[in-house]
Amino acid sequence: MAVARSMRRTSPISLVLAALLAFGFICFMLSPSTPSAATAVTSQQRQQDAAEHPLSPPTKPFLKSQPVRSDGYKAAPPVVHYDLNNLTSSSNSVMNGERILILTPLARFYQEYWDNLEKLSYPHELISLGFIAPKTKDGNTAVSALEKAISRTQSGPIDNRFASISILRQDFDPPLQSQDEKVRHKLSSQKERRESMSRARNSLVFTTLGPSTSWILWLDADIVETPATLIQDLTRHNQPVIVPNCFQRYYDSSERKWDIRPYDYNSWIDSEEAQNLAANMGPDDILLEGYAELPTYRTLMAYLPDFSALDPHRMVALDGVGGTALMVKADVHRDGAMFPAFPFYHLLETEGFAKMARRLGYAVFGLPDYFVYHYNE
Amino acid sequence: MNRHPAYPKGYSAYPRGSSAFSISPNRFQPRSQPAFRRRRQLFQRLILLGGISLLLAVFIFPSWRAAILPAISLGLLHPSSDLQLQTVRYYDLSEVQGTEKGWERGERVLMLTPLRDASSHLDMFFSHLRNLTYPHNLIDLAFLVSDSRDDTLEMLTTMLEEVQNAKDPKMAFGEISVIQKDFGQKVQQDVESRHGFEAQADRRKLMAQARNWLLSATLRPTHSWVYWRDADVETAPPTILEDLMRHNKDVTVPNVWRPLPDWLGGEQPYDLNSWQESDTALELAASLDEDAVIVEGYAEYATWRPHLAYLRDPYGDPDMEMELDGIGGVSILAKAKVFRAGVHFPAFSFERHAETEGFGKMARRMKFSVVGLPHYVIWHKYEPSVDDLRHMAEMEMERQTREREEQERQLAQQKEGSQLKAQDLTNGDAAKGSDEGPAAHPLKDVKGSSNK
Repeated sequence: MAVARSMRRTSPISLVLAALLAFGFICFMLSPSTPSAATAVTSQQRQQDAAEHPLSPPTKPFLKSQPVRSDGYKAAPPVVHYDLNNLTSSSNSVMNGERILILTPLARFYQEYWDNLEKLSYPHELISLGFIAPKTKDGNTAVSALEKAISRTQSGPIDNRFASISILRQDFDPPLQSQDEKVRHKLSSQKERRESMSRARNSLVFTTLGPSTSWILWLDADIVETPATLIQDLTRHNQPVIVPNCFQRYYDSSERKWDIRPYDYNSWIDSEEAQNLAANMGPDDILLEGYAELPTYRTLMAYLPDFSALDPHRMVALDGVGGTALMVKADVHRDGAMFPAFPFYHLLETEGFAKMARRLGYAVFGLPDYFVYHYNE
Repeated sequence: MNRHPAYPKGYSAYPRGSSAFSISPNRFQPRSQPAFRRRRQLFQRLILLGGISLLLAVFIFPSWRAAILPAISLGLLHPSSDLQLQTVRYYDLSEVQGTEKGWERGERVLMLTPLRDASSHLDMFFSHLRNLTYPHNLIDLAFLVSDSRDDTLEMLTTMLEEVQNAKDPKMAFGEISVIQKDFGQKVQQDVESRHGFEAQADRRKLMAQARNWLLSATLRPTHSWVYWRDADVETAPPTILEDLMRHNKDVTVPNVWRPLPDWLGGEQPYDLNSWQESDTALELAASLDEDAVIVEGYAEYATWRPHLAYLRDPYGDPDMEMELDGIGGVSILAKAKVFRAGVHFPAFSFERHAETEGFGKMARRMKFSVVGLPHYVIWHKYEPSVDDLRHMAEMEMERQTREREEQERQLAQQKEGSQLKAQDLTNGDAAKGSDEGPAAHPLKDVKGSSNK
């Protein structure tokens, strides 16, 4: 027995075998995370698309290592050309590799929102995200929750990672501390609230819109359910401004089942009554939708879906849009269309945006039978 | 039952010699070690070998590095290092409000310049750029090259590369973006058609569109200030950024004049788009169609507005401010928060105004302060108009006929007396010189207000 033991200890063959085994073991352990062929391509593409210098559009990631000059100084930022003549925004957005920027004014963070975002089937290396949050306690909570979710996604599988993410903290206080549904929807507080929202939206879009962005998707933080093909579905219509119908799931206690009901009433077709109301208003008065005090008799997209024969491709021309989910060609914002933080034709925020886009010669459409769902508070 | 057949002859006290089964229990033997200590060396070697092979593998396949490193550090040390890309950026906009001492607080300025067929101005423009006293690393440059038929783009690129790679590390600027976008220029760009009344509304809307494209593509969350500067400014103080910033207003414009040849009066207000609103103009605006655009400086729209340009006093206090409603675009310093709030250059008729004048109107609508500095002047380059060129050609012809007459007279004089030849020649030269002087030509009709 003693002989056998000593032989086992000294045999070089067993050592080699053990090393081989260890090597194979390590290989086996690592093989799931070694990049597969498809991932290798996108990560290479990601590397190439990245900006060289931290001073670059926020819609681009940048290389962490920076070159140094021969005399020891940091190299100056490069001269970068962007040819916007070649930038397309077309119905074939995936094939053309069109970049999209998803913008979200963040009041609260819902995990369902993030999960839904991660599920979008549009290539994630073409998606950049932008968030803006107020510098309040609620804002801090939302941002820290968001950062947690981001760090999980951005260190996860490469294919799931978004191209870049910008988090902005706004430079003015929201007029209303309460995010409570009842207070939020009161008519008197609406003007202030929506003016502040406009400023937040404008700050977000004009600082994050990069030279290579083709589309902008406005998506509110409380949109918790959309089809995974949302971006493809909205871009395929190739319209400058297009808005899906925003509904909400709720539990109908009388019927004892889950049902859906309209949520966003800001997408509408104008009416003569509303025009007359506006004509008799002072320059600083605003028209709001969904309040008994202002009977506008506008045609609301929320009531347009025909549930007996839903056709998700049906389009209607609109005059006002809501911002819960809103797809805009980047060119519309580049031309200057913004969310008026002052009464613009007696309209504010997204409704004013639709008016401004139409003043700039763009058409505005809605998809009454295509639904996205709002969080139920 | 005999149980001891091996000892038939009785017992022996000692073993006899070496036998086959020498267990030798009486000799010292070390106790066997515990399994782990016994194999320690083996384990050590195994770990060593494994480590070396892993290192080798990492060296041989660089692409593995990305996958292996986070696995070793359990994803704690390098959460997204595998691509060596930084994907998340965090900005606090309350830190980029813009203050009067921006250069001390390291506030970034975005300098925007739209260019079209501007290669002849670039040398001048870059000399201004190099001389700027504001810390260059805090200035981000952005250019829009649109509908250019000359070599503006190539020249611009070479000159920018030159500045960025200059030996002096303080010469290089921050982020530099050159945006190319053609808007299908319908309007001709020469001075005459550029300033014609009919073309103004469409031209201004197109200019506004170009400005918005440039701004929206290059404004970053790091900018505290935005400075618009045309390439065809001939003279401006190198401290202009600090000078305008010191007023700490949301939008600040200097007075813009242009030098003229002496026969046109020497100098002239250039930018008439900086004005205060008047009641006449408001009434006029109310009477016009929704898509009409009031442009300043044309007889068709008599607005009776007080213009910044005409208030200039060459000896006035350069720090004096004047509230404005419409502004010109030659040189605008604005806080970035104005643009972040959504104020832009309307490419549609906004309260009957477009482009920079509409910008002023919109900024006022959103309660931002807009001021002009009547006695702080920068000088726009003088480009002779078609009329001026014709007039200059006439003057040149006049000069030539005069010279010819002079020569003929000289020849006649030479014939008269060749002995006075040298004296005659000098007299002739003197006469010619005075002919060209401004006094010799009474001003034909000094051109009225400039038309930008």
